Formats: sequence, structure tokens, C-alpha cells
Amino acid sequence: MPAETRDSMVPGLPSGDPGPDTLVLGIETSCDETAAACVRGGTEVLSSVVSSQVDLHARYGGVVPEVASRAHNELIIPVLAQSMVEAGVEGPDVDAVAATTGPGLIGALLVGVSAAKALALTWDVPFVSVNHLEAHLYAALLDEPDLEFPLLVLLVSGGHTMIVEMDGHGDYRLIGQTLDDAAGEAFDKVARFLGLGYPGGPAIDAAALNGDPAAIPFPRPMLNEGFDFSFSGLKTAVVNYVRENPDDSTEDIAASFQAAVVEVLVAKARRAAKASGAKALALGGGVAANSLLREQFLGACADDGIQGFLPSRAMCTDNAAMIASAGWYRLSGDGPSPLSTGANARDRMF
Amino acid sequence: MFILGIETATETAGCAIGGHEGVISSTHCSSPRRHAENLTPAIEFICKQAGMSLSEIRTVAVDVGPGLFTGLRVGLATAKAIAFALRVPMVGVSSLDLLAFPVRFSPRLITAAIDARRGEIYYSFYRQVPGGVQRLSDPVVGSPEDLASELLAAGDEVLLVGDGAHRYCEVFEGLAKVEVVDRANSTPSAASLVQLAHARALREEFEQPDAIEPIYLRRPDAEINWTTRHD
Ligand SMILES: [Zn+2]
Repeated sequence: MPAETRDSMVPGLPSGDPGPDTLVLGIETSCDETAAACVRGGTEVLSSVVSSQVDLHARYGGVVPEVASRAHNELIIPVLAQSMVEAGVEGPDVDAVAATTGPGLIGALLVGVSAAKALALTWDVPFVSVNHLEAHLYAALLDEPDLEFPLLVLLVSGGHTMIVEMDGHGDYRLIGQTLDDAAGEAFDKVARFLGLGYPGGPAIDAAALNGDPAAIPFPRPMLNEGFDFSFSGLKTAVVNYVRENPDDSTEDIAASFQAAVVEVLVAKARRAAKASGAKALALGGGVAANSLLREQFLGACADDGIQGFLPSRAMCTDNAAMIASAGWYRLSGDGPSPLSTGANARDRMF
Repeated sequence: MFILGIETATETAGCAIGGHEGVISSTHCSSPRRHAENLTPAIEFICKQAGMSLSEIRTVAVDVGPGLFTGLRVGLATAKAIAFALRVPMVGVSSLDLLAFPVRFSPRLITAAIDARRGEIYYSFYRQVPGGVQRLSDPVVGSPEDLASELLAAGDEVLLVGDGAHRYCEVFEGLAKVEVVDRANSTPSAASLVQLAHARALREEFEQPDAIEPIYLRRPDAEINWTTRHD
């Protein structure tokens, strides 16, 4: 297609730069959610459809890559179709297609990347490769576009636990990360061990409501050391404790374990915010739905006089609106990605 | 009526465009684990070669396997997304049918075999019929030795085609009535896909992009293990 025609899809802007009217279709298939979303101008969410496979993986106590890939392949077209119907968008309205190219499960990523590139080729619009972690940062900005830079994001999910400083669009610094298990992974493992089911986050959260968080003094790993995390020792401590005290209340154990994880997460995030002089602190990732974490996070921000922001639950968990949003900013920064782009299970943002 | 065919069931990825006049443009690339990188640019390339735009495509045909799972899904996701974006129907064709079709002029028992990894192959039997081949059995997964004993029991003159035959050539070489087709024809052809899909499209045997699925023939390991533990 000649350049003039492509430019005309982005009215009033030079050479294909995205503008406030640019509509990006985002696709996310990095783990166990098949998602598609239509976002205009990087911030206006017209639709965000997420089909969770959590029930498919529940009996295995974790995400099974082959099961996830098969489900993505079945769900990708229905989810895409629904996201366009809900947004009232037709093919020719789409100005760019963005997809998560990593990090994540390779077979799962490939379904979304392949579909996204095929759509971009067919509609003759740019394809944009998006890093999943970068997109999580944009989830906070989608819900609260007025957040100021430097912005610190505590990103906690089944796959990641990190503190990231965002100084501007495309400008990130890794402050700290987990040295072993992700926080969500620790929740899953402890929940499975306690017989509370899968996914572990909501299960522990619910059990903890009826337990005493001060009942058992579980260790607070690396509480005062640097900004990195380690949760595998805490998980072992829970296992050992239960072996030695088999009759203890499961609710007390869940509540005490959760209190230990949350205390470490919040303490490091607020310390990092002070050290970096961040103007705002936001939560991201699936574990951000944890009720104790939300409460303590906001309390800490209020105490320290820093702007604290909790995105909605839908924005914390994996979704494609954050992919479309990050895709819009990436398009304005780096431009389109080539159609020869593949998926990278270990894609890095730093 | 132009048809786009997409084929990614083995380590080779291919695509072709054709119609009433036969195949206009096609390309194949054998580079394992790079299907996702290669396929979309390859489709763009064959469109340019054919001097046409994807918007002229009226049917998207896809190889639905059996074959390598990740490769199949790259092809399926790509094909389904193109059909969805163009609002055109799809035709799904088995990888084994695509192997048998180019050798259809042989009166022998045609046997198509694709490498399934883990010491196994996917295979099916075919007979020549006017204008093509007829599949005699549903595709199955089994060991090369399973197939060898089936061929011995059948006693027919056999033409064995596919990368599954080459991978386990030591099993088949010794069989008296079995001839293995050369490597050049051992992966499914995107051109055959377009030809076979064209006949199906004329009969309006279409499938919709939200319903077309791969033929896996194997359950995920985790599911097998789980069932074993809970039975
Ligand atoms: Zn995530």
C-alpha cells in the first residue's frame, strides 16, 4: 500500500505517528488468559475482553503450557470478535495491531503473535511487538492517566515480582526483583500444600480472613536488605511448620503466611519510593487483588505522603487493554515492528 | 476465486495462492522453530509474486495436522486470523492427505507417515481414485514398528511417503514390497493444499474460523498423567 493511504488512517499526523484517534487492537496470550482489546489514543479503552482458562488448569494446581496453548488456539478468534463487537469496531477502523511477544510461555505467545501479525498484514496496518512487563506498567496509567513520573510500580503476580521505576514512556529502571519464586507462585504452592485449591492467591486471601495474622511468626525474608525478594525460604518455613504442628488452624497459617509476604512487599516498595524520590507508587499484577496487600499498600502511601494508586482488579490481572496501550506508546517511540518478529519466552525490558 | 493455503505441520512452513487456473505462487521454508517468524513475511511475498492483494482471497485453506503441535498452531492462528479479517470461510485439510495427493498416480497402497517425535509417527492409508486419492482409514499415532507390521500383514505393494518414513527408514528399508518416496516430497505441500481446498470450496464444504481446530491425536502429557492418577 502506498504511504499516503497508510497516513490517511491517522488523520492530521505526520508519517504514521499515532495520535489521539489512533485505534490499537491489542492481543495478549502469554500465560493462561486469552485477551483482546480495542484502545483509542493509548488511553481510551473501548473494549477489553479476557477469557480466563483458570478452570482448565485448576486440577493440575498450576498452568500447563500445552493445555494453555490449545485453549488459546480455540479462544483467539471468539475473543477477538467479541472485543471488536463490544467496541463497535470494524476491521478498517483498526490502525495498528499490538501483541505480547514475551516474556511468557512460548507456545502460548506464538498463538497471539501469529494472529496479530496476520491481522496487521491483512488490514495493511502496522504490527507492534509489546513486552508483557512493560504493559503491566501501562495498566496503572490506563486507569489513572494523571500519575506523575517518576512512577514506581510494585508488580506482583504468579510470574513476576519486581519493583520498577518508570521515569517516562519507554524509560524504565529495575529496582528489585525476586531471586527465586514469584509472590503469586509462593501463594499457589502454599495454598496447594494447605489443601486450599488453585489459584492460590484468592484461596489464601479467603482463608486468611478467618485467621490470626500474628499467630505464627513466619520469617520476613530479606526484609531490610536491598530491594530484591526471596520467597522460597518462606514457603519452606510454612511446610516445616505444618509438618511439626499438623493440628494448627489452616486459617491461622494462611493469615500468618500472607502477612509475612505482604509486609515484605510493602516495606520494600515504600523504601524504594523514598530512595528514588518517586512522585507516585502503583500496584500491578494479579497479586494486587489481594485484600491485605491493597489495604497495607494504601496505608503506607498515606503515611509517607506519596501518591498511591491501586488499579482496578481487571487492570491488575493480565489483559489486552494494557497491551494496546503500551503498543500505542511503543508505536510513537520506536515505530512498528517487522512482520518477521517472533515470540521470545525470556524477553527482557531492561 | 482465489484460495490462500497455509501449511505448517512439519518442520517446513509453506504457503500458496491459487484458484481455477491452478497454483499461481507458492513458497516453502524448512527452518525448524521459526514458523512464526517466517510465515507472515512468506504470505506477503507470495501475494507480491502473484501481483495481488490479500483482499482478493475468497477462501483460506489450512493444514490441520496431525503434526508438530506448536507449528500447527502458528499456521492455524495465522490462517484463522486472515479468514476472520477478510470475513471469508476456511477449508481444513489433513497433513497426511497433503502427502498422499502428489503421489496419487500410483496404483500401490499409498501410506503417508509424519514424524510425531518421541519414537512415534502419525499415519494413514490411501488408494488412487479418479482425480485424487481416497483415505482408507482415520489417521492414527503409533510406532514405526506398528506401521511396519500393518504393512506386512496387508501384503500390498506399498508407496510410503512422508518425513516419518525417512526418520525411521531403518524400520522400513528391509520390507520387500515397500518403497519410500524421496525426501523432496516428504513434507506436505502448500500447492496440494490449494488444489485440494479448491475442490472442496467448489462443493462449498466450508468451515468457520472460530470452529476449525487441529487434529492432535495426542492429549497433553499433564492430562494423561492426571487421568492415570485419578482412574
Ligand atoms: Zn502478567
